Amino acid sequence: MSQLQARFFTENKKYAIDDVPFSIPAASEVADLSNVINKLLEARIADHKHVEFDFLVRGQFLRSSLASHMDTENISTEEVVEIEYVQKFTAPQPEECIMHDDWISSVEADSEWILTGSYDKTARIWSLEGKAVMTMAGHTDVVKDVAWVKRDGLSSLLLTASLDQTVLLWEWNSEQNKVKARHCCRGHAGSVDTIVVDPSRTKLCFISLAELKCLKTVFSLSVPTEEEDEVEEPNRPRKKQKTEQLGLTRTPLMTLSGHNEAVSAVLWTDAEELCSASWDHTIRLWDVETGEQKSMLTGSKVFNCISYSPLCRRLASGSTDRHVRLWDPRSKDGSLVLLSLTSHTGWVTAVRWSPSNQHQLVSGSFDNIVKLWDIRSCKAPLYDLAAHEDRVLCADWTDSGLILSGGADNKLYTYRYSAYVSDAGA
Amino acid sequence: EDLSGFSRICSPQRGKLDKTAGTSSIEIMDVELGYSLQPVSLIALLPHAHFLLHSLSPSSCLAMCSQDIRNTVGNIPMEWYKDYPHIGYDLDGKKIFKPIRTKDELDEFLDKMENPDYWRTVHNKMTGTDLRLSDEQVDLVHRLQQGKFGDVNFNEYEPAIDFFSSEVMIHPVTNRPEDKRSFIPSLIEKEKVGKLVHAIKMGWIKPRRPKETAPKYYDLWAQEDLNTVLGRHKMHIPAPKMRLPGHEESYNPPPEYLLTEEEKLAWEQQDPEDRRVSFLPQKYSCLRAVPAFSRFIHERFERCLDLYLCPRQRKMRVNVNPEDLIPKLPKPKDLQPFPTTQSLVYRGHTSLVRSISVSPSGQWLVSGSDDCTVRFWEVSTARCLKTVEVSGAVKSVAWSPNPAVCLVAISYGETIVLLNPGLGDKFICSATDQLISSYEEPEESKEQSVQWTIAEGSDHEHGQRLILKHPKAVRQVTWHGKGDYLACVMPDDNSSLQVVIHQVSKRRTQNPFRKSKGMVQCVSFHPIRPYFFVATQRYVRVYNLIKQELTKKLMANCKWISSMAVHPGGDNVICGSYDCRLAWFDLDLSTKPYKMLRHHKKALRGVAYHKHYPLFASGSDDGSVIVCHGMVYNDLLQNPLIVPVKVLKGHTITHDLGVLDVAFHPSQPWVFSSGADGTVRLFT
Repeated sequence: MSQLQARFFTENKKYAIDDVPFSIPAASEVADLSNVINKLLEARIADHKHVEFDFLVRGQFLRSSLASHMDTENISTEEVVEIEYVQKFTAPQPEECIMHDDWISSVEADSEWILTGSYDKTARIWSLEGKAVMTMAGHTDVVKDVAWVKRDGLSSLLLTASLDQTVLLWEWNSEQNKVKARHCCRGHAGSVDTIVVDPSRTKLCFISLAELKCLKTVFSLSVPTEEEDEVEEPNRPRKKQKTEQLGLTRTPLMTLSGHNEAVSAVLWTDAEELCSASWDHTIRLWDVETGEQKSMLTGSKVFNCISYSPLCRRLASGSTDRHVRLWDPRSKDGSLVLLSLTSHTGWVTAVRWSPSNQHQLVSGSFDNIVKLWDIRSCKAPLYDLAAHEDRVLCADWTDSGLILSGGADNKLYTYRYSAYVSDAGA
Repeated sequence: EDLSGFSRICSPQRGKLDKTAGTSSIEIMDVELGYSLQPVSLIALLPHAHFLLHSLSPSSCLAMCSQDIRNTVGNIPMEWYKDYPHIGYDLDGKKIFKPIRTKDELDEFLDKMENPDYWRTVHNKMTGTDLRLSDEQVDLVHRLQQGKFGDVNFNEYEPAIDFFSSEVMIHPVTNRPEDKRSFIPSLIEKEKVGKLVHAIKMGWIKPRRPKETAPKYYDLWAQEDLNTVLGRHKMHIPAPKMRLPGHEESYNPPPEYLLTEEEKLAWEQQDPEDRRVSFLPQKYSCLRAVPAFSRFIHERFERCLDLYLCPRQRKMRVNVNPEDLIPKLPKPKDLQPFPTTQSLVYRGHTSLVRSISVSPSGQWLVSGSDDCTVRFWEVSTARCLKTVEVSGAVKSVAWSPNPAVCLVAISYGETIVLLNPGLGDKFICSATDQLISSYEEPEESKEQSVQWTIAEGSDHEHGQRLILKHPKAVRQVTWHGKGDYLACVMPDDNSSLQVVIHQVSKRRTQNPFRKSKGMVQCVSFHPIRPYFFVATQRYVRVYNLIKQELTKKLMANCKWISSMAVHPGGDNVICGSYDCRLAWFDLDLSTKPYKMLRHHKKALRGVAYHKHYPLFASGSDDGSVIVCHGMVYNDLLQNPLIVPVKVLKGHTITHDLGVLDVAFHPSQPWVFSSGADGTVRLFT
């Protein structure tokens, strides 16, 4: 049995061991290595409890035996191998299953409340324990997206977008549990599919999936091909003005046109930059100040969803060809895919970066499975969360250690993951 | 002295004449001599005779004049004087009389025999007398005959004075002045040169061709190609050589070559053709004991027969790799994008879904089913947004291709309903409603075969706007590209009212055909030009709607056309048939199918072209959808490229029916298929 020289290190001081090379069997796997570390720790610390570790060789998770991994990664076995170990990310535990009356089109959670939009034309607020708190019924058609805007003590502002081409701004008082429609934003000629609020919480952007930019005359013969996405930037209603502007209809400040087909997803990368993904196989970055396109990333398939992580400054996109792809939005040449995560078997409809861990993201797909990925292990996902019985339509994380996913089986699942990985991975 | 001697010679017989003769006699003698002796010598003598004459001095000549008997008769034949006593006249005009007695032949002979001087006797014709030449005269004659001067004493080799020598003398040899022409250019020469120059200029005179220096003989085989030589001989196959005799043939072979008794028996029992050797090795003590080889002639003969009858030739065999015969088609991998996997299933219908149609924006999908409902789906999520119930099995649905109008045509039973689904832009939906309600009834309404009524009550709330009642069951409904005209098919074998075209904005119905040409299966409008395609069971007829005439008749070569689709470019048509075939017509090429695809195992039910991508799809009863790459080039010389790229399976076969309709997404390379299992599937 061949032996390898390995040196173990970790960034977690709690589990640090001596910086000396060990000779370990080449065929050893994660569990064997984990036992080795635990043995060492037991020798060092008296009251050590058994901890499962995960191992990284040159930034890649060890998933097979050490020898085969090094073989595939082309790492020389002659030298001392540096192996980093981190505490194993334990499987997210399913917690709640919140039943809805219809498909869940969108979910957004913050530290206290979960906001869901549903195909039964309502948006609902739930507590983290899965208790229905509030139902907002005001739309005349399917609610396509929801977003929290602001929390001001007990009163919160939230947005719902719907197929009836409007976006409603609601004010919700959590103590009195009263909800009030504040504003109605119009401007789209099609259903509003995605709504995002910028990081400074003063602007919002909404887009419509399949809007056609056409003249408002039925007799027009020109076949419109251009889709547009629109940015609505209402001046944030100040408290004083609120009473006066109650129920006021708002119109768009700016229209960004350039996409050739339906725009499927949009997000703010920072306060001045907007990113949109479209069915015309492109992701475009826009300067909101000038309203001009800054750069373009070209893919080969229709994009369904994108997500941006400020921690690692990467863009993740889900497309109809079942891959999750990572992009660098700052690259100018535009078509560089950093990484492809392939495991899904259906359209990827939701991707979301972890708010706390720069390596992790979740993706939901039409193959009924939510997958939790670590980009250091791109061959296979960390965990498959196979709870849904039908297509997954939306997914989200919270800072407080919850993964949420909603789908066409009318169920919103919540999973609790161990939050302590954040300090290990950060 | 000379003269006297001469005269003596001349007058041997007549003393009188000796003195009277003189120079003249010499002349006569000369002529006489030449004539009588030899003709050749006469010619040779003549100049010398003159010389003799001239050499006579003038005085002596004058002296002889008195006795000159020269005949003046001239150069006439003397026979003319035969009968006269004289012979000519002398200078004085007196007759010259012949000698008294003329000699006859006998005298002549006797004279010849007896006279020793006969040989030197010559006859003078002019006077008729005989002359005897003297010794000097004979000598002279001999000298002249030898080409010598007559005078013995003449020295012909006297030293000559060289007047015209190379030495320039003080005085000129001649005093003659130079000719004028020697220093004046000659006009004649000038004229001649001018003519030559002119001829050269005109090209009449050409420079002399250079002599060909090529050798007259050449190497016959120098130019011969080596390959042809080899080619001439390459078919040559040398005759196989006979095997050299081995130890077995020896008269005293080593014992191991000798056959044992059993082997001998086996050899004898073998067929002669199967024997390894044609003889039995035998051992003799000495060569002397070897008998004659009895089979020698036979063996030679066999050998000759072998050489003669066995054709030695090379067989040319064409080595064809069977894979080379397959036409080179690009790999499907290079023809992406095309739908590859099933992505979404639109579930909700409880019976077979006959027809589907995608909205021009690509966001909505409408499907009509035998469960008497029409469902509207959101393409991206497979959500059924709307269900409209009608009072019959829905045969056909068609979304209006005009994006400024939100209208769907639905046919069930004998009815076509124009329905506003209210999906998409609210303005467009309301504009569509306005457009329909703004119609004003014309004052004189014609009697139409189709009843147009406006939907009211609950139907209107469900979105129905216009209801068209037909006399017969409607099977297919299709829109014109601009969304105003609507064609529908009411199949009937022998009625002229099979196809009607509705104009929605004027609520008018036309029957374009007066005669029935077979049961119409489906119809389609040309996407650009005013053509109309009508597919009957076996033919597709293309009509020009403006000229109202038949433009083309396409022979489908199949038994029963089920479906038809027109390429967005308008020059290509595909037809699916119930006998498992798909025919691609190139209208520019021929009225026969450009290609027949027999990929399906069962009847085809639906075919469709993609609007932008070079794709077409066909759905069949075997439950599969076959997607093909069908590239049409703008270049008229290049034929369309048709490559089957993918077989999409997913539908379950129910009641022997599989896929009933296929439709492409207007902008993405996605294909929808509806099946008998009540589902609509999206392949991406």
